[in-house]
Amino acid sequence: MDPFLLVGTLVCLLSAVLCIGAALLRQPPNDITILSVAAVELFLLAYAVGAVVRQVAGEPVLGEAWEFWGYLLTALVVPVGAFWWAILEKTRWSNFVLAAAGLTVFVMLFRMEQIWDGVAGL
Amino acid sequence: MTDRRGAVSDARGRSRAGGPGRLLIAVYGVFALAATARAAFQIATKFGEAPLAYLLSAVAAVVYVVATVSLARAGTRAYRVSVVAVTIELVGVVTVGLLSVLDAQAFPHETVWSGFGRGYGFVPLVLPILGLAWLYRTRPGRD
Repeated sequence: MDPFLLVGTLVCLLSAVLCIGAALLRQPPNDITILSVAAVELFLLAYAVGAVVRQVAGEPVLGEAWEFWGYLLTALVVPVGAFWWAILEKTRWSNFVLAAAGLTVFVMLFRMEQIWDGVAGL
Repeated sequence: MTDRRGAVSDARGRSRAGGPGRLLIAVYGVFALAATARAAFQIATKFGEAPLAYLLSAVAAVVYVVATVSLARAGTRAYRVSVVAVTIELVGVVTVGLLSVLDAQAFPHETVWSGFGRGYGFVPLVLPILGLAWLYRTRPGRD
């Protein structure tokens, strides 16, 4: 298993669990949930750097390269958008919004790995 | 979605974009993003293969974008636009879902709504139902 997929899955799902947990406890977004979403964004940035390195080092995308990068750029917007949308209202529902970011990025990461390995196209 | 004033200022708008509506709109936003990116990709790279299916993708994308924006905005007009957009979405996902199951030959190309949104964990099927329920609960003149 690709270490990037493993780390990404852990970061995304941990963030989602923390945010859902906080939401179930009726907490508005707090440092922990916001930082966990920041961690998702940080992972994506590391993933992007890693992807550039792999691409240059002779391990290219086997699927459509620009589809991969399209996914990655879109994914980078998700945690930022969720953060913006969540902090405008300080209720527990905003933590569900933050949780949705982690889950969405997780699904997108899965797709990106498929495209990288040339397994599937749209 | 960028209309901050509309999203937070008036009390009625807050009731629709607040609470559970917050999450609903977030999920709509994700689908607006996903459907738009997908339709753009399909139309840009392989439109000739299945113009009808990819036009349908584009229609779905527009419906999601309109639903997201109108749900997030305050006022009765935005409310009516939401009802229309979410209803079209429900009709679309059920129709395309049925057609893709009954007549797979005619719909060989995947869209967001194929197989009742199977490729997206059936969220496209559940979303408009929750959307209409939410719109009903937050209907103007209720309070």
